[in-house]
Amino acid sequence: MITFEGVTKQYPDGTVAVDDLHLTVPTGNTTVLVGSSGSGKTTALRMINRMVEPTGGRITIDGQDVRGQDPPVLRRSIGYVIQQAGLFPHRTVADNIATVPRLLGWSKSRARTRAHELLELVGLEPEHARRYPHQLSGGQQQRVGVARALAADPPVLLMDEPFSAVDPVVRAGLQDELLRLQAELHKTIVFVTHDIDEAVKLGDSIAVLRPGGRLAQVATPERLLAEPADDFVESFVGYDRGVRRLSFFPARHLRLRTDVIVTADQTAGEAGALARRLGEPWLLVVDAGRRPLGWVSADALDAAEGRRRLDSLELVGYGHVFTVSTDSLRAALDAAVLSPAGRAVGVADDGTVRGAVAQTELGAAIWSVGGDDEPPARDRAAAAGGAHE
Amino acid sequence: MSEAAAGAADHPLWGWAVESWTWGWANLDDPVGPLLGEHLLLSLASIAIGLAAAVPLGLLSVRYRFLYPPVLTGVNTLYAVPSLALFFLLLPYTAFSPWTAILPLALYTLAILVPNVVDGLTQVPDHVRQAAVAMGFGPLRRLLLVELPVALPVIIAGLRVASVATISMVSVASLVGLGGLGGLITDGFNRDFAAPVVVGIVLSVLLAFAADGGLVLLQRALTPWARRDARPGRRRRRAADRAARAATAPRPAGPQPEESP
Amino acid sequence: MNVVAAVAEWFAQPEHWQGSAGIPARLAEHVYYSGLALALSALLAVPLGLLTGHTGRGGFLAISLANFARALPTIGVLTLVVLGLGLGVVPVLVALVALAVPPILVNTYEGVRGVDPRLKDAAQGMGMRGGEVLWRVEVPLAMPLILLGLRTAAIQVVATATIAAYVGIGGLGRFIVDGQRQQLIEQILGGAVLVVALALAVTALFALLRRLVVARGLRVPPAGAAR
Repeated sequence: MITFEGVTKQYPDGTVAVDDLHLTVPTGNTTVLVGSSGSGKTTALRMINRMVEPTGGRITIDGQDVRGQDPPVLRRSIGYVIQQAGLFPHRTVADNIATVPRLLGWSKSRARTRAHELLELVGLEPEHARRYPHQLSGGQQQRVGVARALAADPPVLLMDEPFSAVDPVVRAGLQDELLRLQAELHKTIVFVTHDIDEAVKLGDSIAVLRPGGRLAQVATPERLLAEPADDFVESFVGYDRGVRRLSFFPARHLRLRTDVIVTADQTAGEAGALARRLGEPWLLVVDAGRRPLGWVSADALDAAEGRRRLDSLELVGYGHVFTVSTDSLRAALDAAVLSPAGRAVGVADDGTVRGAVAQTELGAAIWSVGGDDEPPARDRAAAAGGAHE
Repeated sequence: MSEAAAGAADHPLWGWAVESWTWGWANLDDPVGPLLGEHLLLSLASIAIGLAAAVPLGLLSVRYRFLYPPVLTGVNTLYAVPSLALFFLLLPYTAFSPWTAILPLALYTLAILVPNVVDGLTQVPDHVRQAAVAMGFGPLRRLLLVELPVALPVIIAGLRVASVATISMVSVASLVGLGGLGGLITDGFNRDFAAPVVVGIVLSVLLAFAADGGLVLLQRALTPWARRDARPGRRRRRAADRAARAATAPRPAGPQPEESP
Repeated sequence: MNVVAAVAEWFAQPEHWQGSAGIPARLAEHVYYSGLALALSALLAVPLGLLTGHTGRGGFLAISLANFARALPTIGVLTLVVLGLGLGVVPVLVALVALAVPPILVNTYEGVRGVDPRLKDAAQGMGMRGGEVLWRVEVPLAMPLILLGLRTAAIQVVATATIAAYVGIGGLGRFIVDGQRQQLIEQILGGAVLVVALALAVTALFALLRRLVVARGLRVPPAGAAR
């Protein structure tokens, strides 16, 4: 656990970078410091490994004041990842990764073995070991940066806008990779970014800093989106926070309708009768394997000859589906909005149809989470799936 | 205090300083003043001719990239020829005319400047060049109004190094009877008398500093956008300073040919 | 054309290759003065450049010192030291060291100074101490510039060591000075050719050195990298 106790950093010229910061970073969690430039988020991060010395207050790691330790020794026990990786251009990828182990006095062969393990861990091919940083792409460099920080297996990882210099697609991949690593390694991560979406995607909790280095709010991503503490936080998280917050609620609690499903071998007459009985304007046609084929409207059924099979009619595309077990309400809502029928198709993991849900029914579900009740335990996969479309 | 002062006064170096000052002052009209003038003239002429030759050569090397490696090898080799030998070799042709000193020194200036001209011109950002083309600048206008001004700080940086080197090297020409202040140095050597040597060195150094300072002022006047106080220009200004200090001699631009893959 | 022939003939005469005034002996003297002066200069300027570049302190002073040394007329320094201490190797060394220190000092300083601050930050952030940052990061990254400074100095020293002959000391300059006295153009030229050849050999030596000591990752700069 890392704690900031009234930490202040004032520069000799009077500028206050961080102002009386109180913050607790729980062990094994990812805490994201987010804010615009001048909010002191990087300064706060750099005070943890004493790259910057506070002018007031105290920072402890697991109860020990960081100032009680020799800075180089302290830093070797803390992983450090910076923007554009900061890889040493004169060293091979393997030597870069082995930097801290070598500083700690590991033997060459042990450090090299470790470097190869880490390459694999961050998803790079072993033949990258002998390359030089300039021979790698930006995303690969950043992966090496993470591997280098993890080399000596430090319990704490400091990440200063590590993914900000790569393009959005690569960045999303790196973020997913970090989530995967963290699920496996459970490091105590302090992550600095100016991108609120990145913060929401990666953070177990988010600390929003305002210009002048004052803490505006600390909360879980879901609470931050549900209840911004003030106008500053609200404008910072963005006004579409309501929709974004839906990514924290799983779709599996939705009530899916199965009665509107008809199979391709049924006739237009049968289906038309069903539509009239249910009072439904749309029916979902599935094939023999229960895979979705498309929507058919009640009007089209009325107009069609009664004996025609449904698969001989022209169907309306079903848009994209959501996976009931893993997707969030946000994905379900998105599928419904994009569907010409105004209904979302929920599928099982194997792609077979579980049922359909209309916008109105989604609305009721969303309404029920709009209240103050905590969402069910945070669903990582749902959040990840919702934040990067 | 007084003891220390007396000790300093007794020191031989102090004696030299006093003696040199007295001698220099007494001989200001002849020969110190005229030799200083000659030194200045020889330096200025060499630098001017070297610059006049380096700019077109640099331009050609940028325009036709294949010319640059041989040009670079040429100027680097030239730079390694001892000045003494050049002076002696020119003697039969130019006799004791100022050209005997000026031509070799101009060649050294050329050797120092060509890489700087090429570096300066090639570091004009591509988007600047493109913008100039897009606005309809022809090649000559583009050169005069965009590329040369942007390259100016690096060229002047080279000019500063070249002028300091030239001014200190003029003295060698005194061995063929033409060295400006170097005349004081050979005179002192022949008479086993230090005062003229000291005066010659001090004036030569001062002249070099004055030329360097003058070029700094010239650069400030010519490139107002790169002034230290103009915040956005700070980086470039610092880069130019760095180039000024690092550009000590002809040097390869970028990776050397033998290391290229 | 007959000048070339005359020089070739000068080189061809066996007596020019023998004795204490022969080409091998003069060349050895020249290499000795130059090498010693370069070694002394490097011992002086490299540590000073590393220190000022690493700490960022005293940089202005070091650069000013280098600028001052660069403005000194070599022949004046040589003469003055001869007048003070008498003839010998020392005056030649003093003059050549004053010549060689500026490029070594300035390039070493700028090389260390110019290391990307982000790399220094990363090095410190991973727990390198000052000395480790210097030796494992700054020096390897500054190595191309340090070598460039040494090479520049070496070439200047080799070319300028000829003036040792002016105060009656050996070296290849003797061919030039004596050739002038005896009005032997081919001997002046011969001396100059030898000096240039030595300078080219120095250049080749440094190219080799560069291959040996500059890290492979630095030899092919990434596209768009700052020089």
